[in-house]
Amino acid sequence: MTVRWTIRLCLLLFLGCLLVNACNKKSGEGNSGPHPLTLPQPAGFPAPQYSFTGNPLTQEGVELGRKLFYDGKLSKDGNFPCASCHQQFAAFATFDHPLSHGFDNQFTLRNSPGLFNMAWNKEMHWDGGINNIEVQPLAPLTAPNEMAENINAVISKLQQDEEYKKMFTAAFGSDTINTQRMLFAITQFVTSLVSANSKYDKVKQGSANFSQTEQNGYTLFQSKCISCHPEPLFTDHSFRNVGLPLDPFIKDYGRMRITNNRTDSLKFKVPSLRNVALTFPYEHDGRFSSITSVLDHYSSGVQNGPTLDPLLKNKIPLTNAEKFYLLEFLKTLTDSSFINDTRFSQP
Amino acid sequence: MKLTHPLHRVHLPKICFGLLFVTAVFSCQKELHFDKVPEKDHNLVLRFKPVVSFDSVPLVLGKTYKNYFKEDYTPTGFKFYIHNFQLENTDSGKIFKLAKDKYYLVDFSDTTTMEIKITIAPYVYNRFSFTIGVDSAQNVGGAQTDALDPAKGMFWNWNTGYIMAKLEGTSPKSPTGRFEYHIGGFSGEENVSKTIPRLFPFPTNLDMKPGKESIVYITCDANAWFFQPWDIKIADNPVIATPGLLATQVAENYGSKGFTIDSVYNEP
Repeated sequence: MTVRWTIRLCLLLFLGCLLVNACNKKSGEGNSGPHPLTLPQPAGFPAPQYSFTGNPLTQEGVELGRKLFYDGKLSKDGNFPCASCHQQFAAFATFDHPLSHGFDNQFTLRNSPGLFNMAWNKEMHWDGGINNIEVQPLAPLTAPNEMAENINAVISKLQQDEEYKKMFTAAFGSDTINTQRMLFAITQFVTSLVSANSKYDKVKQGSANFSQTEQNGYTLFQSKCISCHPEPLFTDHSFRNVGLPLDPFIKDYGRMRITNNRTDSLKFKVPSLRNVALTFPYEHDGRFSSITSVLDHYSSGVQNGPTLDPLLKNKIPLTNAEKFYLLEFLKTLTDSSFINDTRFSQP
Repeated sequence: MKLTHPLHRVHLPKICFGLLFVTAVFSCQKELHFDKVPEKDHNLVLRFKPVVSFDSVPLVLGKTYKNYFKEDYTPTGFKFYIHNFQLENTDSGKIFKLAKDKYYLVDFSDTTTMEIKITIAPYVYNRFSFTIGVDSAQNVGGAQTDALDPAKGMFWNWNTGYIMAKLEGTSPKSPTGRFEYHIGGFSGEENVSKTIPRLFPFPTNLDMKPGKESIVYITCDANAWFFQPWDIKIADNPVIATPGLLATQVAENYGSKGFTIDSVYNEP
C-alpha cells in the first residue's frame, strides 16, 4: 500500500515538475538572454561619450554587429559592406586610397576615417554632421555614391535571412528585425573596436621604452602638437581649418555644410593620431600620401584665411631633423594587436 | 505500519492533488492570469483631413491647386509628426496630458495614419493643443523606432535630424518642375517644432462622457505653408530642405493657420 502511494506521489510530483519546466520555458527567456560585455576602459582614457543606455553591450549584439559590418547585403548591389571602406589592416580606414569607391564606380566625398575608440567620439564624420553614433551607418548606407541602398530594402533582405533571425533573437530576445536593432548591433560592434595597445601605450604602462629618436619625437610632439591632438585619444574632437587650400573640384567646405555658419568654413574634425601610420593617405580628402608631407604642410604650407585656426597663424616651423623625430614617435602609435585581433575580423 | 496505514488512506490522495494544484498554480502564475474585462482601448479619435484654403477645399494628392500667389502646385507628399496632446478646460483650469507621450506620423498617402486613437480622462474640455515636430531629445537620441524609425523617410542621414513636416510635389513655377519643403531643425533659432493651441469651434466643446467616444476633426491646410506671416513663393524657393531661416518661416506659417479644429462629435 505504502509503495503504491509512494509511486503515485512521485508521479504527481514529476508531473508538477514538468509543468514548472514547461511554463518556465515560455516566460523565462531572461534566464538565457545575451551575455553582457564590458567596454574596455584603457588606462587614462576619459569616460566614453556613448553611454550604451538602451543598448547594452553584449556578446551576441557585437557578434551580430560584426556580421552586419562585413555583409554586402547592406548595399544596393551587394558589393559594398561597411568593411569595403573600413579595412581592419588599415585600422578600419581604406588602405592607400585618398577617396574610397562606392556604388557604380563612384568616389566617396571624403577620405575614409579609421574606426577605433569610437565610443569616445562626440560627433561622427569629418564635418560632425552625425550627432549620435547609432545613426551614423544610415549615412553611408543611403548615400548614392557609397552603399546606395535604402533602409527598408536592407531590413527586408535581413528579414528573409534565417541566420539573421537567429542572431537578432540571440542579441535582442525576439526575431524582430528593424532599423533600430540593426543600428544598435552595428553600434555595439563598432564601439567594441578599442585600440590602446600600441608601443606608446606600453611605454606609458612601463612595459616598454622609447628609443632615443622616439623620445625626442615625443618631447617635440608635446610642445607642438598636443593642443589639437591631446593624449590619450590624440584628438580634442574639435573642428579646425588647418590651412588646406579648397579643392576646386570637390569644393568641400566641411563643417559649414552642417552649420550653415560662415565661421565654420573649411573646418574639419581633428582626427585621432592613433594608428596614423596605417591610415594613409591623410586629411579629409586624402591629399597627402605620407606623414612627412603632412608635416611639411604644417611647417611651410599652411594657407592663411579668415577661418584659419589661430594656433596656425605662424605655421609650425619644423627642421628636417624634427620631422624625422616626430615621424618616429608617430609610428609608436600603431597598435598591431588591434589590426590582427580576430574578434574584429570578417566572421 | 498499522498507525500510518489509515493515515495514508485518508489523506494521501488529497495531499497529492493538493501538491499538484499548488505546483501548477505557482509554476504557471505568469500564464494563467484571467483577462480583465476588456476596456475600450481609446475614447478619443483624432481625424486629420488635408485641405487647401482652410476647410473649404479637400486636398487630394496628385491634383493641382493654387497657392496665395496664384502659383499652381500639385502635391504628391504631405506628412508631419504630431505628439504631445494636451486638453484643457480654461474655466476650471484642469489640464489633461497623456501619461506617456508617443509620436505619430500623419501621412496623407496612407489612410491608416490619418486617424489617431488615444485615451483621455472623460471631462469637458474647451482647448486642445499638440506639437507638430520632434523634440530635441529624439533628434540627438540615436536610433529610434516606430513612427520615428528613420526608414519612414523623415530623417536626414548625413546631417542628423528629423524632417518634422514635409510637403512636396510638382509646380510649373519651379525651374526643375519640382518643389520640396522638408522642414526640420531642432536646436536654438533653427528649431521648427511648434506647439499649437486650438479652441473648439464655437459653441462646441469636447464633452466626454465616461464610456463614450468623441471624435475631433482636424483640417491640415497645405496653402497655409506658403502664406502668413511669411511669403513663401515656389518661384523663389522651390526647395527648402535644410534647417535654417526659410524652414523656420514655413513652420511659422503652418503653425499659425495650418491646423484647424473643424468639428467635434461627442457620442451622446
